[in-house]
Amino acid sequence: MRSLWITFRYYWQIHLTVVLCTAVATGVLAGALIVGDSMRGSLRNITLERLGSIQQVLIAEHFFSPEIVDHQNSVPAIILNGSVSAVDSDSRASKVNIYGVTDGFFDFWVEDEIPTLDSQTQSPFPQVVINASLQEELNASIGDSILVSLPQSYEIHPEFLLGERDATESIKRMRLVISDIIPTENAGRFSLHASQSLPMNAYIALPELQKALMQSDGVNALFTSDENPISHNDIKLSFDELGLYLSEHDDYFDLQSDNFLIKPVLSEAALTVASENNIPILPTLTYLANSIVAEKTSDEQSVISKSIPYSTILALPVEEGLFETLFSSNTTEIDQNTYQEKELLEQLRIVKEKEKKAEKVSIDTDKLSEELDKLNSRFKEYGHTYEFRERYDTVKRTYADIKKRLSELKEPIDVHEIYLNEWAADDLAVRVGDRIAVKYFSIDSNDAYITETTHFLLKGIVPIESIAADTELIPDFPGVSASNDIYDWDPPFPFDNGLIRPKDEVYWDDYKSTPKAFIPLALGKKLWKNRFGDLTTIRMESPPGKDIKATKELFVSAFLKSIHPEQIGFKSIALRSEGLKSSKGSSDFGMLFSSMSGFIIIAVALLVGMVFRLGVEQRSREVGILQAVGYPVANIRSRFLYEGVIITCIGSVLGCLLAVGYAQLMIYGLKTWWLPAIGTPFLQIHISIWSLLIGAFISFVVVMFSIYRTVGRLGKMSTVSLLAGKTDSGDTAIPSKHSKKRIIGKKLTLVLLGLIAIFIGIVERGVIFTGDWLSLIMILFIGALLIILIRLLQIKVAEYSLANFSKNLMSHVIVYSICAFLGSLLNILPFSSKVTEAFNDFANQPVFAFFLITLTVLSIGWYYFDKWLKYQSFSSQLSRIRFALKNTARQPARSKTCVLTISLACCIIVAVGANRQDTAPVSDYTYIAESALPLHHDLNSSDGRFELGFSDEDAEVLSKSVIYPFRVLPGEDVSCLNLYKPEKPQILGAPDTILAVEEWDNLADLEHTHTYIPAVGDENSLRWILHHNPKDDFVIHDEAGNNLHLRIDTISNSLFQSQLIISESDFKNAFPSQNGYQFFLIKTPAILQEQTPQILEKTLEDYGFDVSSASQRLANFRSVQNTYISTFQSLGGLGVLLGTFGLALVLVRNIMERRGELATLRAIGFKRELLYRMLFLESSFLLFVGMFIGVVAGLLGAIFSQDSSPSLPWSSMIITLFLIFGFGIIANAIAVFFSLRLPLLTSLKSE
Amino acid sequence: MKDTEEIPKQLLVTNLSKHFGSLQVLKDVSFGFEKGSSVAITGPSGSGKSTLLHVIGALEEPTSGSVEINGTDPFSLSEPDLAKFRNDVIGFVFQDHHLLPQYSILENVLIPTLAFNNNNPDTSEEAERLILRVGLIDRILHRPAELSGGERQRVAIARALINRPSIILCDEPTGNLDTNTATAIVDLLFELHYVLKNILIVVTHNLELASRFENRLDLRDGVCSEITTDKP
Repeated sequence: MRSLWITFRYYWQIHLTVVLCTAVATGVLAGALIVGDSMRGSLRNITLERLGSIQQVLIAEHFFSPEIVDHQNSVPAIILNGSVSAVDSDSRASKVNIYGVTDGFFDFWVEDEIPTLDSQTQSPFPQVVINASLQEELNASIGDSILVSLPQSYEIHPEFLLGERDATESIKRMRLVISDIIPTENAGRFSLHASQSLPMNAYIALPELQKALMQSDGVNALFTSDENPISHNDIKLSFDELGLYLSEHDDYFDLQSDNFLIKPVLSEAALTVASENNIPILPTLTYLANSIVAEKTSDEQSVISKSIPYSTILALPVEEGLFETLFSSNTTEIDQNTYQEKELLEQLRIVKEKEKKAEKVSIDTDKLSEELDKLNSRFKEYGHTYEFRERYDTVKRTYADIKKRLSELKEPIDVHEIYLNEWAADDLAVRVGDRIAVKYFSIDSNDAYITETTHFLLKGIVPIESIAADTELIPDFPGVSASNDIYDWDPPFPFDNGLIRPKDEVYWDDYKSTPKAFIPLALGKKLWKNRFGDLTTIRMESPPGKDIKATKELFVSAFLKSIHPEQIGFKSIALRSEGLKSSKGSSDFGMLFSSMSGFIIIAVALLVGMVFRLGVEQRSREVGILQAVGYPVANIRSRFLYEGVIITCIGSVLGCLLAVGYAQLMIYGLKTWWLPAIGTPFLQIHISIWSLLIGAFISFVVVMFSIYRTVGRLGKMSTVSLLAGKTDSGDTAIPSKHSKKRIIGKKLTLVLLGLIAIFIGIVERGVIFTGDWLSLIMILFIGALLIILIRLLQIKVAEYSLANFSKNLMSHVIVYSICAFLGSLLNILPFSSKVTEAFNDFANQPVFAFFLITLTVLSIGWYYFDKWLKYQSFSSQLSRIRFALKNTARQPARSKTCVLTISLACCIIVAVGANRQDTAPVSDYTYIAESALPLHHDLNSSDGRFELGFSDEDAEVLSKSVIYPFRVLPGEDVSCLNLYKPEKPQILGAPDTILAVEEWDNLADLEHTHTYIPAVGDENSLRWILHHNPKDDFVIHDEAGNNLHLRIDTISNSLFQSQLIISESDFKNAFPSQNGYQFFLIKTPAILQEQTPQILEKTLEDYGFDVSSASQRLANFRSVQNTYISTFQSLGGLGVLLGTFGLALVLVRNIMERRGELATLRAIGFKRELLYRMLFLESSFLLFVGMFIGVVAGLLGAIFSQDSSPSLPWSSMIITLFLIFGFGIIANAIAVFFSLRLPLLTSLKSE
Repeated sequence: MKDTEEIPKQLLVTNLSKHFGSLQVLKDVSFGFEKGSSVAITGPSGSGKSTLLHVIGALEEPTSGSVEINGTDPFSLSEPDLAKFRNDVIGFVFQDHHLLPQYSILENVLIPTLAFNNNNPDTSEEAERLILRVGLIDRILHRPAELSGGERQRVAIARALINRPSIILCDEPTGNLDTNTATAIVDLLFELHYVLKNILIVVTHNLELASRFENRLDLRDGVCSEITTDKP
């Protein structure tokens, strides 16, 4: 022990260096892990802070009475999104969380005082509490008035024919007075969604908000802090909650909906329950026709004669029940014969029409076939260019059109039948067998009303009695049913009261909404079914032997039991546990920094190895003496290893302290220089003892391995050489005693190389059989590279000499080519295709190409440097430069270590830096806009702009822009801007118009099955934020809680990094209750780029319409990427620092060893300055070579691993490299200066 | 001993003293030698032999006294001029050869010509001639590690002579060599000395070797106790 202490004291410089290196490795690694801990800890803190003691929330997409939930300790609330504007200023804020709360809500944060929120205020306006973030945005203070815009609740979906879409009706405005401003912490930070950004919140007394929204006691959220969660079983559903009502009559009862159409999930459940309980049913669908027209045929020309405006049509099962009875009893045989004759004629007409269509389809198919042939033959010419894509898209659209028409041709030749009541038949003067046209509104994909016409053949005329006179089957039409006159109707759809005739008013007076026409239910569903439902009334009768009351009770009980709350939009979210789960973060910053620090660990390992070797070499005489006096080599090695263990332990402990400082520096960096990477400076340091232990342990292992390798070399020098103080094993190495091992190693390596060649043959069979010689050469090159690498890694494969190296290389290449050929023959084996597929998947990754190219170039660089060191030619002419450079070969291992470290560091810095994009991003779109409340009108149409309230002047300006509206399913941001791990991504429904602009082929795929939905998503977001393999389907839930499999086509560097995109039609099917558009892309002419956003934001203020620059959005995404790159580069810089330190150390050590030589040079006339220059040149040469190899490898790796040539940020890269070089030069100069100040001449003395 | 005032001396040392701190290594040493002289400096370990050699070679400055070589006091020269002076006038052979291991023999011999960039085809030829003279022409492209100790010292001698110096200073040139090799090295030194007519000064413990020199200078505790001259 004492001898160890003496050794430490004597060789303190070397040991101190190893301690410091170990401390740096531990500090960097454990520090990186602490950064990860801190990120997770801080996100966790935010989660706990924003939720207080809230454990769970039950939310619904509709309002419900809290009474239906049987759960103690639940706090009701209303949660809405809205926009807020200050009354006295122009300031406004969109995307504001509006909470209707009671005092109980604030009790979840025990440490907070309950803010002043009195619903019984004397002020004419209700009070509102806002948080500091909103206050900052509005620049408002207590006592100021604000206007809050909220989405108005609706019963009938705004996108249904009868839904209210009037802008003035869809938004609720509230004037409120700010009573209190709370800090954006605890309750002030509450948000349902996990985000590190500060939310803008406004809190209104629940009764006030309920009053404004005309909800007596309705809420849409219930919070609880109980560990015992609110389960779906606690929800006692009622017909009211479901928006249904039952009207009971003597011998039947009708099930109808507040929403006009019964939701599909409810109607299906009702039909199932009725069927299961043998309850006879009569399902009907009511629709409103704009006109019923009698068509008289004359010479194949349809001539419109008479028409009845605005009539109710009832679709019902016409061949059964009361209607069938009514029809039979009022229809003569002559009528039936007449109908059948006309039906035959109609069928003939349809057949002829189909023949014409088929002819046209055939011509189009031929054209399509020609086009496809051309496309195939010219594929190579076009490549995958824009022009090719355009043609491809055209062909695809034509194909889809032909498919649609073909499917129409395949439809059965059905004649649509219709029944009119006597009044209508009289009015139209039609008889059975006459043609009738019905015109009605439907909603197109842009939510616009379009008039459609369906042609019928009149099958029967029924009297206005029995079921044909039953208005109970007809649900209330909003704005229609309650009117005394048709003229006074105020329906939500366009209504022309000028068409109303006096006889129509008489009919209305006598029969109200009694249907004038009847069609079969199946046909009605085909014509009018939509995502909101396909039935308006389900009439149920009592089964034989049961009275109607008992039947109703039975139905009600069974029906309510059959409905799962989730199906109707109730969601139970374990806010706390899910929040804590997502606070683990989208990116593991610990792993990120650790992997970034990996290089530093390597650099440290190399450095420690070198330093320790220097120490061992410095003590070569000591080793020699110990050997001379009989110490076994193993004993001496153990002695050095003990020393290594002790100093590494000391270094690890010191490193733990350093780790805390390093982590704090990184966190400071993330809060300042690298802020874009995390968005807001919320990070606080969190230290985990495990991180310190892991960091210390890994560093200890790495450093000890390095020391072990160094100590392992002891014994390779002869004792005499060691006694003479020799350190260069190259000249005096004793022959290896492990030649057998070497031979085995050589054989194993050759076998391994052969297997690799066979593997390459398997996966690249095509190369050999298709004659793609370039690829073959590439493969052979890889083989050669492997050999070089193996040599470089000092695996003693064979005793190569310079002379026979190329011969060996050639023989290997030939042997491995044969192996590769054999491998290609193995392709017949069943597993080979899987192997090939897996390998190709991997090989197609850019990272594969990057590593392949980079390692190749690095290996070649290192190989030639190594070769240069070993095999220098001699010359009779000696120049000073050559003299200086040749000195680097004096200690080849040291020189190689320096070059290796520096080249690796530079390669990383350059390769990473090549991905930095300094130029401002350019988007195809000018603006990106989001609205807090949905818009239901088309901003591209003059009607839409009028409806939304744009002035003529503004509308004119706006007409010059193209606006693409997207539907939005609220969810979490999946881009790199969100640090939390998103679970429920925001989904966009892309309109058809955008599909013509963007190259999202799969969204335009009309042929997809219902087993999956085509989607588009950003590759980086999927891979790194959602941690999802883009090749796998991404599963989300539709509105009814069913799984939806999204098959994702990836895009990159787009504006859509925050969301996943599906087509609008799929969106509407999956999320029928979502309405309107809330996300917009805008293309604006340059001249109007200033005006357009102002006009939009001003006019759509109530919607919380927020316009931002699309390029800026891209820049925000890019800044995160660039920040990561900066972080990585900084760590790479630290690696260069270590490399340069190593270089300086080598230089000093070399000078110390060469004191005699240098003194001799001085003695024979070399000036001190000349020695300075030569030594400086020598180390700068190593720096230059290292940098050169690294830079070339990094650049080539970056350039060839990307599909398109990257726009390299030359300026920043050159500056970085200059800084590195400058730093290295200065370090060298200092090292040379101080080393040569030591007296040299004493080493010349013989005594 | 000859009268130093009568014949012009190529090397003239006058009242030379050298202190290392409080330790006086050389005490008032004076002597002078003309061109073509050979001198052996003997004395026990620590007597100041190497220090005297270093002072003569202008590697160390004396505390007092003076050294004149070819009429020039090297210590009056500036650092660059002194380096040039050493390069032109003095050749060194040390006990440890201090050859640079990464260079060939030829390159090692040529190294002194680099100090003032006078490496040219002539110097290369001269180097080859010297290597021929020292008997290593067939090893000219070998590295020092491939040579024996005696051979390495021969290379060091060739290196010392490449610039045709006026004075050759050898510090125990045979100290690490066996008797036969040492004899051969001394023979070589004398052979070249006779040809080149320079002053050859050798520091040695070996009295038998010293006896072959025409002048012997015995140092005891830094004092030149005896100067013996065999030359008539």
